[in-house]
Amino acid sequence: MLEDQASAYAEALFAVTRAEGDHERVEDELFRFARALEGSPELREGLGDPEIPTVKRQQIVEDLLGSSAASTTVGIVSLLVATDRMSDFSQIIDAFVNRVARHSGAKVANVRSAVELSADQRERLTAALEQQVGHKVALKVIVDPTVLGGVVTEIGDTVIDGSVRRRLNQLREVF
Amino acid sequence: MRIRNALVATALLVVTMFGFASPASASESIGSCIIEVADELHTQIAGGMSESEAYAQAEDAAEECIEAPNPVLPDPAELIWVTIAFLVLLGVGIKFAFPLITKAMQARSDRIREDLEAAERTRLDAEAAAADYRASLGDAEAESARIMDEARAAAEAYRSSQKAAADAEAADIRAKANADAESIKSQALSDLRADVVQLAVGAAEQVVQHNLDAAAQSELIENYINQVGSAN
Repeated sequence: MLEDQASAYAEALFAVTRAEGDHERVEDELFRFARALEGSPELREGLGDPEIPTVKRQQIVEDLLGSSAASTTVGIVSLLVATDRMSDFSQIIDAFVNRVARHSGAKVANVRSAVELSADQRERLTAALEQQVGHKVALKVIVDPTVLGGVVTEIGDTVIDGSVRRRLNQLREVF
Repeated sequence: MRIRNALVATALLVVTMFGFASPASASESIGSCIIEVADELHTQIAGGMSESEAYAQAEDAAEECIEAPNPVLPDPAELIWVTIAFLVLLGVGIKFAFPLITKAMQARSDRIREDLEAAERTRLDAEAAAADYRASLGDAEAESARIMDEARAAAEAYRSSQKAAADAEAADIRAKANADAESIKSQALSDLRADVVQLAVGAAEQVVQHNLDAAAQSELIENYINQVGSAN
């Protein structure tokens, strides 16, 4: 049921962004906002709190994204806040990202790194992953300090973990 | 029955003897003769005879009383009758009573012998019973001894089994206590090791975080890209 609703929202968002012609940017901004929302329970609860007037919550979205994000991105987030879909926000955005990647014939590769990857590193990692999985890859980078160092990539059910966190966990398991 | 017949025959013999006995001896006693002499004397005096003559005759008569029949030796006639009666009675006795008496005595003898034999048999039976009783008593004593031996053996076996069970239980308790102590020790060591590892890994994480500068992060990313690219 939740997947059906997320897919329906994803299709609608894909139609809107495709019509606007900037779905790649909007997709990237929504993806980043979804990850930021996962890392901030206070923000997620605040935007989904029905006790707070919708206008007030939309104003918070404007304050957070208005200056840097595309208007389409701000509008989509405001729409989801107004329809009380913040609890499903990550699922909707992930479905939307997958829908965009499917449109371009690619698979989404969620990459978590302690620091931001440079453009060159993104390109070379994309190429390496495409060579690894034998398929076109849409790279989605998430800056995650818990990784400590290195990179963790998830493509579907495949996980390629080269993080310092994994090595520390291995060290813990050895002892 | 035989005894009764013998008694009847004896009674008949006695009655017959008295029945054929002569009455003369009883009436011819000295006393009665003197009385008769006295009566005759009184009659003669009353009849007018002189007293001297009467007394003289009375003395003669009295002397004749003294010479009266001998009570020990019967009269010959009486003796003949008595002899005949005796012979008759003897014949009757030999003919009828003696066989009965002999038969009764034989029966009595037989009965006494049978009684003696029965008594002997009873005695033998009693002795046999006594022997059996003594034998059974001996058997009972042996059985009692056997039962006591079995009871002692059973008690010893029970005591041994109980002791073995108690020893086994004690061994189990000791083993369980040792296992529990070993488990607690292992758990404590495991917890201690986990705490030490946690501390060590936490310290290592802190060190890594402080030492992972931008160059190191970039190098890690480059290594990752190279590993992914070379894995195919």
